[in-house]
Amino acid sequence: MLVIGQAWLLSRSVVGVFETRSTDGLWTAGALLLAVFAARGLLAWLQSVLAHRASAAVKSQLRREVMAARLRRPTGDRASASTLVTVVTSGLDDLDGYFSKYLPQLALALVVPFLVGGAILWADWQSALIVAFTLPLIPVFMALVGWTTAKATARRFAVLDRLANHFADLVEGLPTLQAFGRARAQAKGVAITEDANRRETMRVLYVSFLSAFVLELLATLSVAVVAVTVGFRLVFGHVDFTTALFVLILAPDAFLPVRQVGVHYHDSADGVAAADAAFAIIDAAGDEPDGTLPAPNLATSRVRFEGAGFTHPGADRASLEPLDLTLHPGEMVALSGASGAGKTTALRLLMGFEQPTVGRLVVESDEAGALDRGSLDPASWREQLAFVPQLPGLVPGSVADNVRLAAPEAGIDEVEQVLTEVGADFSAHQTVGDDGEGLSAGQLRRVALARALLRLRRGARLLVLDEPTAGLDADSEATVLEAVRATGAGALIVTHRPAALALADRVVELEAVAR
Amino acid sequence: MNRTLSPTRTLMRQLLDAVERGRWRLAASILLAAGASGASVALMGLSAWLLSRAAEMPPVLYLQAAAVGVRFFGISRGVLRYIERLVGHDLALRMQAALRLRTYDSLSRTTLLGRRRGDLLTRVVADATAIQDLVVRVVVPFSAASLVIVGTTVMIGRFSPGSAAVLFGSALLAGVLLPWLTQRLSLQMDAAAVPTRGRLADEVHQTSRAAQDLVAFGADRAALTRLLTVDEELRRIEARSSWARGLATAGQIVAAGIAVVAALWIGGHAVAAGELKPRLLAVLVLTPLALHEVFSTFTQSAQTFTRAGSALTRLAAVLDAEPVGRGDVEQVPSDSPGLVLDEVTVGWPGEPEPVLRDFSLSVQPGQRVALVGPSGIGKTTIAATVMGMIPAWSGEVSSTGRIGYLAQDAHLFATTVAENVRVGRRDATDEQISDALGRAGLDFPLDRLVGERGSTVSGGEARRIALARVLVDERDLLILDEPTEHLDHETAHALMTDLWRAVEDRPVLVITHDADVMAQCTQVVRLG
Repeated sequence: MLVIGQAWLLSRSVVGVFETRSTDGLWTAGALLLAVFAARGLLAWLQSVLAHRASAAVKSQLRREVMAARLRRPTGDRASASTLVTVVTSGLDDLDGYFSKYLPQLALALVVPFLVGGAILWADWQSALIVAFTLPLIPVFMALVGWTTAKATARRFAVLDRLANHFADLVEGLPTLQAFGRARAQAKGVAITEDANRRETMRVLYVSFLSAFVLELLATLSVAVVAVTVGFRLVFGHVDFTTALFVLILAPDAFLPVRQVGVHYHDSADGVAAADAAFAIIDAAGDEPDGTLPAPNLATSRVRFEGAGFTHPGADRASLEPLDLTLHPGEMVALSGASGAGKTTALRLLMGFEQPTVGRLVVESDEAGALDRGSLDPASWREQLAFVPQLPGLVPGSVADNVRLAAPEAGIDEVEQVLTEVGADFSAHQTVGDDGEGLSAGQLRRVALARALLRLRRGARLLVLDEPTAGLDADSEATVLEAVRATGAGALIVTHRPAALALADRVVELEAVAR
Repeated sequence: MNRTLSPTRTLMRQLLDAVERGRWRLAASILLAAGASGASVALMGLSAWLLSRAAEMPPVLYLQAAAVGVRFFGISRGVLRYIERLVGHDLALRMQAALRLRTYDSLSRTTLLGRRRGDLLTRVVADATAIQDLVVRVVVPFSAASLVIVGTTVMIGRFSPGSAAVLFGSALLAGVLLPWLTQRLSLQMDAAAVPTRGRLADEVHQTSRAAQDLVAFGADRAALTRLLTVDEELRRIEARSSWARGLATAGQIVAAGIAVVAALWIGGHAVAAGELKPRLLAVLVLTPLALHEVFSTFTQSAQTFTRAGSALTRLAAVLDAEPVGRGDVEQVPSDSPGLVLDEVTVGWPGEPEPVLRDFSLSVQPGQRVALVGPSGIGKTTIAATVMGMIPAWSGEVSSTGRIGYLAQDAHLFATTVAENVRVGRRDATDEQISDALGRAGLDFPLDRLVGERGSTVSGGEARRIALARVLVDERDLLILDEPTEHLDHETAHALMTDLWRAVEDRPVLVITHDADVMAQCTQVVRLG
């Protein structure tokens, strides 16, 4: 609306001076024009602030939901961490472009052409006809160009993607190439691939810039046509000067939002892709609600796998074939079996990280009867468990901070005590960096064992211990297993070690999953 | 600003020289861009003149030339823009290729094995793309806009110097000063946002990595809350930055308004005083409107400049760094292979402390020596020294024979299994590759793809492909770097069995802390 007012004021005052050769009324017109420009500036500023607010709210919401989803399914593979970081940080930032540029322009593109077109129609219907004829041509042509080129572009993108990643792959592999004395020789390969990359990219660009070309051409050409026709009609007195100028000033503005939508189209594509990636993570976590029943006391309850098995969604074979197993209170059961038999998966089902896809896992007590593990409140269930994963994940801070995950209120004396018990040769105050940096694999394992030990001291009734990777000493593990014996708690452990197997009451052999 | 400018500028020059007819291409794309923007300004100005002239009702003949001009500018803008974008992107891609080649060349000359490099390599790859943004979004549009501003000012100046001066001033304000101010402002805010962003990424990374542990010990809620606190902080910083950007956009609109109103005012008075032909008034008033539209993307470009500038400065630092060691390992065959270290002090060049002092060791045919020490003391640095890739700080390293090195984290390239094995021997035949794979205990089709960073093979399989790489060529001496790390017991055991069978009686140095591996060696040397 302001744009129309601005055009009207401008054309009036120019014509005023043109016809009267005097500056009467120029003061008021000038002041009004300045006010209009100032108001447009204010609106632009408001739009920027509001658009940011909207996108920030959506970003925060998605961040929270993505991370909550990650924590609902805590067993995702470790490689996914970097993908997740990309999605949550720079990926979601792409939504800024979507909200602050694409959406406002899209809204404008739906409204402004009609408003401005209406204003032109009111002033001069013939010019409006030209605009009305060319404006719809823009989306039509763009769709046509997009439609005919989509296939060619998609085909090229696969090639392009490979070429573009080739450099990254080579650079990351440089240390490996150097060890084989092949790094310098590959420089020629880089030059050749880069050249191919440029050619392929340009081929895609020839086509993808076409739509922008059509857009620009139609928009400017129709302004030119409006200018020329209005000019000639002006000569013959079919239209007055004010109207002619008014139409000329307005005509480009009818096309501007549509052109801007085209310009910001890739912002929209990036933003939509980012949101899709976020939703994919959220959806993958499922939305079945957590259980609410308080978990029965494991000191007096049995835990039973009743044909419980698990298949990853989309996987063609089961990670764990249906398993029948009862854990009695205070019993120590060792799981063994070939790699890939589903030992770790069994522990995950027990922890409640995953739900069995067949069969069920029940907790059976004399008071409450048999309850499905899925119906239990996760917090009250897990506080009775002491968990030692295969590869412990540590939070940055100190060793003590990590041991205290098991019991936040534990004093430093107690932390040092459990660390000593598992044979730690490092201080509780030692700092832990990203990904447990600063600690060796063996030290990480001991922190995890100390944590489990502290948990057992706080009344956990079941140790859930996964086998460590190769090359770690067995002594500290035995300490924890003895502690389990001393407290009378039970245990489900995955192990190959003869020492640990000897300590167990029972060894359950898992059959390898048939390939 | 000057700090970020000068290395970037030097780099730009060097890259332009590296590209075939680089300067010509740059000049061409700037001229084309200026032509395209100029065409839209000229279209508006000429149309205004056409209407004003028409209002005087002259014979139609007088208008014909202008009408043709208007149509010409209407078409040329789109055409010029299309060509300009192609020429500009082509140049940008050529410069990117040149930059990548330089980066690769410089990195391949410095030893990377055993260096604590953090995210250096991934960052270098990301930083190199900044050159495209810099050319396409900053250098070309700004140079072109300067040309258009000067051109328009000169044209207007011919009939109204006063109005031209105001136009020039307002263009400087909207096209230079405001983007520059926004850049300064957002530079400060980005500086504040970078650590916060980093913290957010860290929190996400840690929460994700330790998800099982956090959930198992009921600490997940707290982790989520911590993450959202960082998010909240980031949101506040970004809100301030959007405030500043909005203000700049508003400023640009107001600057256009000032130019238009001033033109109207000055032109109006000139017309009233008879100093200006009335038909030029519309030209005077409407031209600034079109000119200012050229600047609308400039605040964004200024921010792109900041980002691209700092990326290229980081890259320039990597390119200018003194190479460390010799890069590629040198392979010389020998009849009497072996390895002797005599009173050697090992350390990464430039580090304050060595990894190892006055160390002696000998590995001869038939011997398998285990080098055992705590994690994180830099055992890969020792391997790099033994292979002659970096110099020892003191003492004598003499290794004879072609060295085969099995890395713990050997990189798998996103190509076929065969090509990955061929890294070990460029001219290996398919039979030789199958044979090496067989000895490494793998029965893979040669054309199987391993995916990005070996994503379609398991950890044990990846290690075996790396082993096949070592076995595919003649090796006189083997260095194994943590061969069983991160593998489970059975996989580790099976791998070592195959490995010992394949190495026969060649001298082997194993860096490990796996007790099972140590037990299989003829000698164990403990460090530290």
